[in-house]
Amino acid sequence: MATENKKRRWRLSRRGFLIGAGVLGGGIALGYGVGLPAARLKIAEVMDSGIGQPVNIDKGPLVWIDIAPDNGTTFYIPKIEMGQGIHTALAQILAEELGADWQQVHVIQADTVRGPVDSAGTTGSQSVSSMWPVLRDIAANLREMLRAEAARQLGKPVAQLKVMKGFVLVDGASGTGAGSAEGQISFGELIQNKQGAWEVPKDKPVLKPMSEFDIVGQSMQRVDLFDKLTGQAIYAYDVRLPNMAYGAVARPPTFAGKLRSAAKGTAEEQPGVIKVVAEPDFAGVVAETRQQAAAAVTSLALDWDAGKLWQQAEIEQMLEIKDGAGTVIQNDGTGTAMPSGGAGQMIEAHYSSPFAAHAHLEPQAALADWQPDKLRLWAGTQMPALTRGDVAKAMGLKEEQIEVMPTYLGGGFGRKYGSDVAISAARLSRAAGRPVHVAWTRKEEFQNGYLRPPTRHILRATLGVDGRISSMTHLQSSGEVANSFLPAAMTAVMGSDFGAWRGARLHYDGIPNRYTRAQVASLPIRTGWWRGLGLLANVFAIETFVDELAHAAKVDPLEFRLQHLPAGAGPDSTSERLRNVLMGAAKQAGWDTPLPQGRARGIACCTDAGTTVAQVAEVSVEGGKIRVHKVVSAIDPGLIINPDGVKAQTEGAITMGLSSTLFEETRIENGRVSADNFDAYPLITMRDTPEIEVVLLQTGLEPHGVGEPPIGPIAAAVGNAVFALTGQRLRTLPLKLA
Amino acid sequence: MKLNVNGKDFEIKNRPGSVLLWVLRDELGLTGTKVGCGAGICGSCTVHVDGVDTRSCVTPVTQVEGKRVTTIESLAQPQADGTLKLHPVQQAWLDEQVPQCSWCQSGQMMTAVAFLAENPHPSEEQVVDAMSNNYCRCGCYTRIKRAVLKAAEVAA
Repeated sequence: MATENKKRRWRLSRRGFLIGAGVLGGGIALGYGVGLPAARLKIAEVMDSGIGQPVNIDKGPLVWIDIAPDNGTTFYIPKIEMGQGIHTALAQILAEELGADWQQVHVIQADTVRGPVDSAGTTGSQSVSSMWPVLRDIAANLREMLRAEAARQLGKPVAQLKVMKGFVLVDGASGTGAGSAEGQISFGELIQNKQGAWEVPKDKPVLKPMSEFDIVGQSMQRVDLFDKLTGQAIYAYDVRLPNMAYGAVARPPTFAGKLRSAAKGTAEEQPGVIKVVAEPDFAGVVAETRQQAAAAVTSLALDWDAGKLWQQAEIEQMLEIKDGAGTVIQNDGTGTAMPSGGAGQMIEAHYSSPFAAHAHLEPQAALADWQPDKLRLWAGTQMPALTRGDVAKAMGLKEEQIEVMPTYLGGGFGRKYGSDVAISAARLSRAAGRPVHVAWTRKEEFQNGYLRPPTRHILRATLGVDGRISSMTHLQSSGEVANSFLPAAMTAVMGSDFGAWRGARLHYDGIPNRYTRAQVASLPIRTGWWRGLGLLANVFAIETFVDELAHAAKVDPLEFRLQHLPAGAGPDSTSERLRNVLMGAAKQAGWDTPLPQGRARGIACCTDAGTTVAQVAEVSVEGGKIRVHKVVSAIDPGLIINPDGVKAQTEGAITMGLSSTLFEETRIENGRVSADNFDAYPLITMRDTPEIEVVLLQTGLEPHGVGEPPIGPIAAAVGNAVFALTGQRLRTLPLKLA
Repeated sequence: MKLNVNGKDFEIKNRPGSVLLWVLRDELGLTGTKVGCGAGICGSCTVHVDGVDTRSCVTPVTQVEGKRVTTIESLAQPQADGTLKLHPVQQAWLDEQVPQCSWCQSGQMMTAVAFLAENPHPSEEQVVDAMSNNYCRCGCYTRIKRAVLKAAEVAA
């Protein structure tokens, strides 16, 4: 794997950009420091000719484009590829604005050596939406620099030059973007023939109009798939170094367990053992092979305090929704905990969702190489900057002494936080004086990580005599999501957990009085981020309840939803975009056409990360089990960068959401998680995966999130279909028929 | 002991209890075979032993002595120009843009290759039967199904 650790020097240029030399020499690199305030954005210049003095810049650029003399164009991308296709989508944005030839584009994962990784991490379905303006700006600047240089070299006015597929062409030239025909010059040639220093344009360049896009909006093939299909892609579990050894770490018998004392026992005498670590808070073994390390850990002499043996019933108590507890996160009209919308019928229903595992198939892994002056770390992490900080703190190092090389992730889903396994690897590498790889077992993943928190929901509404909802209330309770990663002082100020209440606010603008209150419980077992955070549970509760209200009002569930989403609020309004996805999904699913006997449909919708989604599920019951035959999903994520990528994410979110809808749950028993492996925690397979159709809608000129929003509606869509078929209203996940 | 992997003989240390998966990955450096559960449930570690799809995470290495072990690294064929020509199953996976994170896909493809060798003209139901013992957490099942059927069609 690429492990060259050459530091590139950058120099400040006009308008705060950074310019650097190409990796191969003779090229050009343009960078953009997103971590800095926009006013201080920098591009520095360090051409190989030695023009200009290098400036010592504390932060290198976050994104950079590197064009080599052979026209090969490399994008250093700070976001982590975990299957969401982000390297491809971001490269499309860069290539489009730059005018690069897509066939000559390469993507490299940025790391703390080759450009810092961004401090925001790869989370929250925000990679495309947050990078969109940044990437376009840097690419447009580089394009204009190349155009200006082409004007000089070709002796033509800039106004007569256009950029296409890695070439600058004179208007009217026959050039097709290949070879060296008259009136055209490749980016590579331009750079080779460059004299003097590159200069960033005086003014912010004009961005390419959408009407000229031919890369953005196309279903480009994923740039990472060839290596993945041939077994060559390197994930954290796969990283290898000469002389590496393997580590295993001792684990408490319960999640509340603490080490009273640790001694080496007979571990040092076990086959293959290189080093045994027995410290007050940490015990582990380094061995020649992974199996030897795992075996030798059982020969340590460890005295555990198992702590309290927590039971599920105690967790349930902690989640109970209490009068007046929690934080109000939505209060429109005259909303209160008890709906007071005037005359009509008061309806109340309670919902819940269980503990769930991430079950990413690649367990946590890291390779640490402790050296006298620095620590090199290859880690599977969605948050490399945070991992670096955590490891620095744990190991007593400065952040500058740690290099973090993030790898491909074998699934993230909010669990690839990376720090815990990286710290273990660093401690063992320091002790052994060799590179040490640590990877978790599946049992460690279930027992020693964190889970999706369980939730409880009380929904109340007043249904007026006109059949409309006059007021609606959502009282929600959840284990921690974001809070378990934040300092206690910060969570105290915030009062609630924004992760837990993601998706909890009532999304029907046509309801005059809305009130949502979120209550967070700090459970004795750690809970945290999981794809969409609270979205799946909250939308399940809200959208099932709305279905119940529709049936109470004797109105078609689609029509009922539309009645509470005001039309004419403007094309960019969430209401309008929810209406569009509801109608789009319903139309494609044939909502008004009858189904054969024994089948029924359900519908649900949500808005998340700026995107709207609606899903129609078609179900039957076979042998007492719910069978989902087809799901139609309409999604409006704003501007679409890669249509097939949006479809893939939607299909994946629906499938993962169905796994939660139909199968997944785990419980606390005697201070442990009830599941150690997939035999006690089965995931959905191809057998239970329905046909999935995705309808793409586009509103506006900005892209929004895609990775998480479509996991929102699926549970309610299925549950609502089950009600339509059987009359059974299922209010607990996973859905089980009586 | 000797181990035949992807047509080559390797001399490996005979350690008691040694499991095929770890020998492939950590001793031979063939990290294309992945690990998911360590219990033979998820299918990420699937390789071929004498052409039969086998969960390498629960296979003692002594069991495959004298047999032919095949991994994902051997599917694509090196060409004269140094590039790799994808196996029809890999090509179908690429055409359908199947993988997301792709951690499970080596196992999925090895399962599919062994299945198609036995069932060159499968029905959709047979594909579902054959592929429903492999987990994909990203949820690529609809595309996996399409790709298996496509690979069968191309080979026919």
